[in-house]
Amino acid sequence: MATLNESRASEAAAVAAPATASAGGEAVHTPRRTNRARSSSGRRRRWLGLVYLAPALLIYACVVLLPAGQGVNLSFYHWDGITAATWAGVENYTDFFTDPTLRQAVGHTLFFIVFFSFLPVVLGMTSAALTARKDTRGAGVYRWIIFLPQVLTPAVVAVVWKQIYAPDGPLNSVLSAFGLGGLTRGWLGDFTWALPALGLAGTWGAFGLCMVLFAAGAQNIPNELYDAARMDGAGPLREFFTVTLPGLRGQLAVALTLTLLGAIRVFDIVWLTTKGGPGTSTITPSVVLYKRAFSNPDVGAACAIGVVLAVVALIVSLAVVKLSEGDD
Amino acid sequence: MISTREKVFNYAFLTLLAAAVLFPVIWTLGVAVSPEITGSLDLGHMQWSNFTDAWQQAGLTQYLKSSLIITGTAVAISTALAILSGYAFGVLGVVGEKLLFPLMLFGIMIPLEAIVVPLYYDFQSQGLTDTYQGIILAHVGTGVSFGAFWMRAAFRTVPSSIGESAQVDGAGTWTALWRIYLPISRPAIVTFVLLNFMWTWNDYFLSLILVSDPAHQPMTLGLGAFSGRYLVHVNLLAAAAVLISVPVVGLYVFCQRQFIRGMLSGAVKG
Repeated sequence: MATLNESRASEAAAVAAPATASAGGEAVHTPRRTNRARSSSGRRRRWLGLVYLAPALLIYACVVLLPAGQGVNLSFYHWDGITAATWAGVENYTDFFTDPTLRQAVGHTLFFIVFFSFLPVVLGMTSAALTARKDTRGAGVYRWIIFLPQVLTPAVVAVVWKQIYAPDGPLNSVLSAFGLGGLTRGWLGDFTWALPALGLAGTWGAFGLCMVLFAAGAQNIPNELYDAARMDGAGPLREFFTVTLPGLRGQLAVALTLTLLGAIRVFDIVWLTTKGGPGTSTITPSVVLYKRAFSNPDVGAACAIGVVLAVVALIVSLAVVKLSEGDD
Repeated sequence: MISTREKVFNYAFLTLLAAAVLFPVIWTLGVAVSPEITGSLDLGHMQWSNFTDAWQQAGLTQYLKSSLIITGTAVAISTALAILSGYAFGVLGVVGEKLLFPLMLFGIMIPLEAIVVPLYYDFQSQGLTDTYQGIILAHVGTGVSFGAFWMRAAFRTVPSSIGESAQVDGAGTWTALWRIYLPISRPAIVTFVLLNFMWTWNDYFLSLILVSDPAHQPMTLGLGAFSGRYLVHVNLLAAAAVLISVPVVGLYVFCQRQFIRGMLSGAVKG
């Protein structure tokens, strides 16, 4: 049996990055006992275990497993939710290449990845590097503040940003105050600016988690390493690349997984602010999914989007974990 | 061991970031107590009645009731299931674990989007849409994987010698769970309850799809509806937003460590 510490470490990795657990997880907990009497009691325990698990498993099967299977099946049909479904083959999937709205949504996802993932990770990494040393005081206060958006309801976050970007909102007031009145506009109603505006709101929401994640990791880097780097004449930049960054590899994987999945799935803030508009200028795959499923339904097409999102999510998590394990 | 100049730069950078994060929050708080319905700040004439006005005009009492019923029940059931299944995986072992455990893991990885459409049509055919039972069932079902995981991890940190000695003393698995594993794992359970509460309370997507009847919708949807109808009363909208954030932010203020630690190790849930 694994020792306490080992199992703890593997557990943290498993919970933090699900893909690792699925890949390497289950070598851990099968009690092996040679004594025959004990092994039969062990078997009884494992049947009892199944009994303890049963209620959770039943609900899980009804709410997750069954619909997941149905979703895959439905994605090969055209169905309006009422009349009989007709076979569609892979048409719902080829829509990703041919349907203009869906293609646009995929493009927006790539755009959102910059704001929801790349920027938060860079900002989080920078701020963690700055507070990495144990002699930075007040780091806890900064952490508290910067993490706050994580606990705010997405519905509230949307309301807040909708007002900030409103024609008479504070952003425009600030611009006018600096004599940039010519730049003011209703940001979320603007075909060019709505997408980056939502992106920035996403950066605002995501980077606190990244910072706290990196800061927690940085605390495990021994202070002596920093001091040694400085003794060797490294400046802040060299220090970052030789000490901080390598020490944060695991956290980087987790942060990338979480933020990339956030970017791929973004729904709440878009739906609650622009509903994908103006036109389709902020539409995302999740918004297309919602619309196809419930307004003028094409359920099969909606399910196909769901399946593709799931597959992409899986690939992203696996790829990030692979990369983070990388070359050492 | 670093120069003062570097330190000053560090603090300046962090303060700037913190200010950028706080600005929207503080601005919203300010608007929520300002008299102007256009949403311009006027802290000279704070109008605390905005909160009661917003509460009444948005009909928050009904939404609050729904939120409390949904979140309370879902968290209670989820916690019970998390404990039972975590105990099964972490302590007892499970027949067919090699198959069942990865199957459970799958629930953490699969995004909600991939199941929610078929789920809606299943619920519709069972008469579960627009009911408390339905949305509670959906929350519990989508949270089960994470719960099993979380509590499995917690129970496995309990040294097996403690469990074995209880067994020698004649305690059954049920007694051992109640007398030994639960008390030792209390911090993990508290964190789980906090996270689960936050996720359920803050949910928008699931409720939007499964509950279209305003009588059963939670506060997040109430705010969405209010935001559509009362776009002109920006101060009341801000006040409503503040009111809806109070429970979770309040808990965050008091249990900051559990929130952060919990989300760092478990933020994978969608």
